[in-house]
Amino acid sequence: MLVYINGFITLCTYGIALFFLISIVRTFLKTKNVQDAIVYAVMMVPFILRMLRLK
Amino acid sequence: MKKMNINTVKVIALCVIAFCMAVAGFLFAEHRNFKETVVVSEGCTEVKKLSDYSTAIKPGSINDCNVYIYDSGVEGGTFLIIGGSHPEEPTGPMVAQLIAENLKVKQGRVFIITHANTSASTITRIGEAYPRFFNVETKWGTKSWRMGQRHAAELDSWPDPEVYIHYPSGQNLANVDIRNLNRNWPGKEDGLISERTAFAIMEMIRNEGIDYTLDYHEAELEYSVENTLVAHDKGFDVASMVSMTLTAETFDVPIGMEFSPAALRGLSHRDIGDHSDAASFLVEVAEPMLDRIRGITDEKLLMEGKDIFVIKAGEHGLLYAPMDENGWPIEKRVARHVATTAKLIEMYTMMHPDQAVVVEGLPAYEDLLVDIGCYYHNPYAADPSRVYYD
Repeated sequence: MLVYINGFITLCTYGIALFFLISIVRTFLKTKNVQDAIVYAVMMVPFILRMLRLK
Repeated sequence: MKKMNINTVKVIALCVIAFCMAVAGFLFAEHRNFKETVVVSEGCTEVKKLSDYSTAIKPGSINDCNVYIYDSGVEGGTFLIIGGSHPEEPTGPMVAQLIAENLKVKQGRVFIITHANTSASTITRIGEAYPRFFNVETKWGTKSWRMGQRHAAELDSWPDPEVYIHYPSGQNLANVDIRNLNRNWPGKEDGLISERTAFAIMEMIRNEGIDYTLDYHEAELEYSVENTLVAHDKGFDVASMVSMTLTAETFDVPIGMEFSPAALRGLSHRDIGDHSDAASFLVEVAEPMLDRIRGITDEKLLMEGKDIFVIKAGEHGLLYAPMDENGWPIEKRVARHVATTAKLIEMYTMMHPDQAVVVEGLPAYEDLLVDIGCYYHNPYAADPSRVYYD
C-alpha cells in the first residue's frame, strides 16, 4: 500500500512541478519589470531539472 | 522602446539560465550515467544479476547490480563480499572491485557485489560540495569511480515517509534512512527501492547457502564505531581472532571488535545474521572527509585523508581514531579492508573447517600501502568477455 501511495505522490509531484513551471513561464512572459524577469528565469531552473529527471 | 528593452532582458536571462542549466544538467547526467569498469579475474566463473534472485528488483533497473561468482568447484563454504552499501565511503566499491579483479578461489565459493546500492552512487550529498568522481592512477591510465552518498537518489525513491518504520521489527528510524541500504536489512519484497534491494540480496544469501558476509564501510573520526569489525552473534569467535591477529601482526592502528547490538535494527551485521543462516560482519575504517568539522571537501581530501581541522581535533584528543599529519590515505584504508577480508576468510576457515574457503591472489597489506593502482587491470586491453560495468 505504501508503495502505491508513494507512486501516486511522486506523480502528483511531477504534476505540481509542471503546474508551477507553466505558471512561472506565464508570469515571466507577462512581466514588464526587469528584476522580476531575471528572478522568474532563475526560478524555472529547479522545476525544469526535476521534469527532466536530472536532479 | 521600453517594451523592446524588457524583451531583450528576457531573452538574455533565458539564454544565461539555459546555458547554466545545460552545463549543470550535463554534469548531473554524466555522473548518473557513468559506468565503472570491472575486469574480473580468471577465477570468476559466472556473473549474475541481482534480479536473478528475486522479483523485488526489476531486471535492468538502477539497483539491479552485478553479482560476481568465484566457484572453485571444490566443496567448501560460501562467502559474500558487499561493497557500495554507502557509496560516499569509497573503499567499499574500490576494495570489492580490487578483489573481483585479482581473486582466485581454491576451495569453496566467493560472491562479490561491488555496488550494493547503485542508486546511491549516482548522486552526491546535496549542499556538501562533494566531488562527483574520484580517481586512482594506474600504469595504463586513470581509473575512475562515481562518488555517491549514503542514501538512494531521490529520483529513484521519493517521497520519504514522515517516519521510517523498519520492517519487520517495527522500530522507528529517521525518515531518510528508508533510502539507506544499511538501515533496511533484511528488506521488504514490496517496499521502496532500498528495502527491495536488501530483500533481493537476502534472497541470494538464503538461496545460495551463503555462510558468512562482510560489508565494507568507512566512518568519520568523530564517530565511536571506528576501525573495528562488528560481528553478529554467530561470528563473535571469528571476529575476535581477526581483531587480535591483525592488531598484533599487521596494523599500526589496532582494529577493534564489537558485538552487533540486538536492539539496533536494519544493519547488515544484525539483520543478515538474524534472517539467514549466515554469520554477518561489517568492517569500518577512518575517513576524515566524513567528519563534520572538515575543511575543503574535494577529491584531494577524499584520497589523501588529511584535513587541518580534523588534525587539530586529533591534537585535542577529540577523535576516536589517531589523526596526525600523515592522515588516512586511501592506500591505507584499502589495505586495511583487504587485509581484514583475507584474515576473516583464514580465521573462518580455521574455526569452521566444514565451511572452508581458500583463496589466492589478494595483495599483501604492505604492498597495498605502496600502490593500489597496479591491482586494477586495463579494461581496454583485457579480453572483452571479462569486462563488466557497474
